[in-house]
Amino acid sequence: MSMTIADLIARALAAFDVLAATAEPLADELQYLTDLETVWGARLQEVADARGAEAAPAGSTAAIWALEAEAAAIRDPHRAIDWMSTLPQVALAALGEAA
Amino acid sequence: MRFMEARPDGRAVVYAHIQADSLVMRAGDLLAAASTVQRLLARAVMNGESTDASHWRTIFPTLFGPEAPTPGDPVRDRSEAILAASLEVADRGEQTRSQFRGAIVEALAERLLAERTGPVHRERRILFDGRPSEIHPYDVTVEREGGAEAWDCKWGARGIKGDVIHQLDDARRGATDEGGKLLVGLVVFDARRSCEVRLVRERGPVPLEGLRLIALEGLDRLAGRRPA
Repeated sequence: MSMTIADLIARALAAFDVLAATAEPLADELQYLTDLETVWGARLQEVADARGAEAAPAGSTAAIWALEAEAAAIRDPHRAIDWMSTLPQVALAALGEAA
Repeated sequence: MRFMEARPDGRAVVYAHIQADSLVMRAGDLLAAASTVQRLLARAVMNGESTDASHWRTIFPTLFGPEAPTPGDPVRDRSEAILAASLEVADRGEQTRSQFRGAIVEALAERLLAERTGPVHRERRILFDGRPSEIHPYDVTVEREGGAEAWDCKWGARGIKGDVIHQLDDARRGATDEGGKLLVGLVVFDARRSCEVRLVRERGPVPLEGLRLIALEGLDRLAGRRPA
């Protein structure tokens, strides 16, 4: 099945939510976690709005699936919150977008 | 304004060995000439769970996919070398990995700054007349007359904390009070978007106008280059 950029953004956002749930026990970082959700959610949505109907670029579908697996493997809340900054950037790079 | 060697304590002695490790030197050299996506690869792998190189090649199709430069091309070879060095860091225990990552960001900042200006120093204190001496050493300094700089280096945006911002601002104001000038800033190996939200929350009463923020996407600015 061919994927669109909107499909892949939806999967990246779902992986991002998994990281947020893993990071949630870090009570002292709740504000930062919320800020990351706000700014990165908006940036990913911006790409979906602009290019959502386009076919996914070569290699990007496998990239986002592997990225989902990486996010799911993270169990440590500290690593998860650090990855909340990294995952969107990596997903955007796979889609040929700047951060 | 005077620069001095930091007083070495036990932790600093241990950390000095990490700073001098050949893996830190190699990663610093590779990342200094890397593109933004290659630097992002290093950040992801060094902070990741998987230590399987093929997994990371899949995640970065623009570096390793069918439309990426082929093996033997200098860009592809650099991507492979960065992946290998990053996996070596990731393969260490959590505490050691964390120390290596910090040392690599400092080594990278040192190399980039040295391209633009110099001489560049590491772990230096800054003293001002009539002010209590700061114990805090700055990670990287440029001690050029009329063009002094002090930078703190962080692996991630979460390293941006109120005390770090305050110390940098204090040094900047100290230089101004003496009629001099000191450029101060943070070098953060993380996304600018994340650094900015962190900085705004952590700054307290410190004005941000005098503080430079160099994030992962803009590291080449340290060298006086446009981001690759």
